Amino acid sequence: MSAAPAEMKENIEANSKWLDAHYDPVANLYTFSSCIALADLQGDGENKLVVGDLGTGACNMKLKVYRGTSLMSENTLLDLPTGLVSFLMDQHEPRTPAVAVASGPFIYVYKNLRPYFKFTLPTLEVNPLEQDVWSQAKEDMIDPVSLKEMLEGIRDKAEIPLSVRSLKFLMLEPQEMEAYVNLHKQNPIRRQTVITCISTLKKNMADEDAVSCLVIGTESKDVYILDPEAFTILSKMSLPSSPTLMDVTGQFDIEFRITVACRNGNIYILRRDSPKPKYCIELTSHPVGLVRVGKNVVVGCAQETLQGYTQKGKKLWTVYLPAPVTTMGLMDHHTRGFQAVLVGLANCEVHLYRDKNLISTIKTPDVVTSVCFGRYGREDGTLIMTTKGGGLMVKILKRTAVFEDKDTAPGPPLAQSIRLNVPKKTKLYVDQTMRERENAVAMHRAFQMDLSRLRLAVARAYVKALESSLTPVSASLSEPLKMHAVVQGLGPSFKLTLNIQNTAVCRPVMNLAVSFLYDESLYSMKTAFFKIPLLVPGLNYPIDTFVECLTDKGISDIIKVFVLREGKSAPLLTAHINMPVSEGLALA
Amino acid sequence: MGLFDKLAGWLGLKKKEVNVLCLGLDNSGKTTIINQLKPSNAQTQDIVPTIGFSIEKFKTSSLSFTVFDMSGQGRYRNLWEHYYKEGQAIIFVIDSSDKLRMVVAKEELDTLLNHPDIKHRRMPILFFANKMDLRDALSSVKVSQMLCLENIKDKPWHICASDAVRGEGLQEGVDWLQDQIKTMRT
Repeated sequence: MSAAPAEMKENIEANSKWLDAHYDPVANLYTFSSCIALADLQGDGENKLVVGDLGTGACNMKLKVYRGTSLMSENTLLDLPTGLVSFLMDQHEPRTPAVAVASGPFIYVYKNLRPYFKFTLPTLEVNPLEQDVWSQAKEDMIDPVSLKEMLEGIRDKAEIPLSVRSLKFLMLEPQEMEAYVNLHKQNPIRRQTVITCISTLKKNMADEDAVSCLVIGTESKDVYILDPEAFTILSKMSLPSSPTLMDVTGQFDIEFRITVACRNGNIYILRRDSPKPKYCIELTSHPVGLVRVGKNVVVGCAQETLQGYTQKGKKLWTVYLPAPVTTMGLMDHHTRGFQAVLVGLANCEVHLYRDKNLISTIKTPDVVTSVCFGRYGREDGTLIMTTKGGGLMVKILKRTAVFEDKDTAPGPPLAQSIRLNVPKKTKLYVDQTMRERENAVAMHRAFQMDLSRLRLAVARAYVKALESSLTPVSASLSEPLKMHAVVQGLGPSFKLTLNIQNTAVCRPVMNLAVSFLYDESLYSMKTAFFKIPLLVPGLNYPIDTFVECLTDKGISDIIKVFVLREGKSAPLLTAHINMPVSEGLALA
Repeated sequence: MGLFDKLAGWLGLKKKEVNVLCLGLDNSGKTTIINQLKPSNAQTQDIVPTIGFSIEKFKTSSLSFTVFDMSGQGRYRNLWEHYYKEGQAIIFVIDSSDKLRMVVAKEELDTLLNHPDIKHRRMPILFFANKMDLRDALSSVKVSQMLCLENIKDKPWHICASDAVRGEGLQEGVDWLQDQIKTMRT
């Protein structure tokens, strides 16, 4: 019952923020957040969606451009794209951005959606031993079998790893070796690495439309910064592991900061003028998403957590997520000055976090694999998502949408985190706690002993009261009785009412008498002893008697009431009546 | 109103004044439409995005229109509601080639219709499904479906396809608006 309204409320909540502009579940678009960009490619004031489509992973890799709800153009890519960025290469008018697609060891640069330039990563150093062995093979000085043995020896010992050619050769069956050697022996050996991530860095101006350098991370644990026009390497930095995710901020000529998540589960922060990482964040599990919000870094980890760090690597917070992270993206709404982190989850939800607060949840029909927020078409606050099943989803942030800066996730109430105004500890308090800490065992023992004594005293008093029938309730099986007395009047005459009840189930009680014991100099009673009639079980018998107070000194005493049984010396019940001070005599 | 004014009114010399709001998303063609409706000697050649709003005047056979040409840019849309009270009719312009932002247009229209200054007034609304000349433009029927215009029950409305650059379809819409305003007054 309660689930349905909650769901409805959630829907209304989500609907109040986002408009569903477009959803094509069969867009045939398979990509990740690293291969998606929004750019005004034609300079007509309308941003297009540029996507590096991974296709099936083996074929149909394409560079797709969407305008509005429809596909505008398609270029075939030769290899899987690993990253895609749009950047301004030069100052020429019209200022249309170029698109750089990283794939394998190459960067393909497109201008006006036409191939413009291809950058190839510099080749790596080849093992000299390997070189020697192959040159011997070239002169036919060694046969393929001994070539294999020597290469295996190099593979096991050498610091510089073997080239792809040698590794492939080592995998071959003996009969294929000869042909392979003959085919390749004439060509020089090359060792090449591949690009793992790509980003951009403004060259010398912070403007939105400033010229940007390309920043690439490679499998060979290097980070290169490329000149935007000449595509020469401006700077090279090394990392302890292969980078997988990268975020770049700053300007190349002034100061910059590259935050790189690496395959060894660490995050390194590189800065200008230092070829080695400046700071290192060691994560407890592998990073799957990296977003920088202002000066903080938000990392999505494989352990279903989201963690915030400062740019110097100090941990700020951790949020536990309901499902594994599939993708992450930054939501940066310039016109409203609003920044938040979009986190795509495997349970078909996209969460929006500002710092550690979950401020909105979007439910999606499929698992989201890429998110991108920015200006699309003419709309500033557009959220683009692609799904696991190849769908494309476009949502537009409502003009009236307001994000409350409080956590919508259930948890401890806000009041819990308010600090109480606790006064400072006094010296006495500190001394006392010190004493307690030192003599804990002795104090505990003393307390336990006193407690036992108290219990013993209580038990003794109870037994004594029971034995001498000093209580107004009789527990004996033959005469279970209950009595309470009421005193009425101001004095000197008082009316004393005894309420006697037989609490037995069905047996009446007979032959009872009531006797009063009092100080005869203070009180006088007409009959200090009388008999009680038969007591029917369950009924209340009020018995009235009058007491006269004799003194005028304003003192009072106790009158004891005994319920007696004929032929028995011990009373059945005893009641002590505290008599009030007689006001009548005092007045007279 | 003075005696002379009344006389002039009876004789049809002086036209009745009517205030109209021209609303719609940015780049839908509001200013271009208003520009086309102005007498040819007052038209401007180059249309630039409106900042804030501008007031334009034009005349038809029996009415004198004062149009508040509001800017459609997101950051100026909150200005619209301050002019709802003054308006006696609304022209709502839609870019029928912008399928992506049709939801945004619908959202703005719904906000407009639910505003207390508009909700209980029976003011005519004229929709222009503009940019009909573009290849991927939606038909006016499709536009009215996407905006759920059939749900507007308490106000007279009319949609016409238009091409503001060449001025097609504008006169039909303005004629309808003029008839509506006349019937409202009598």
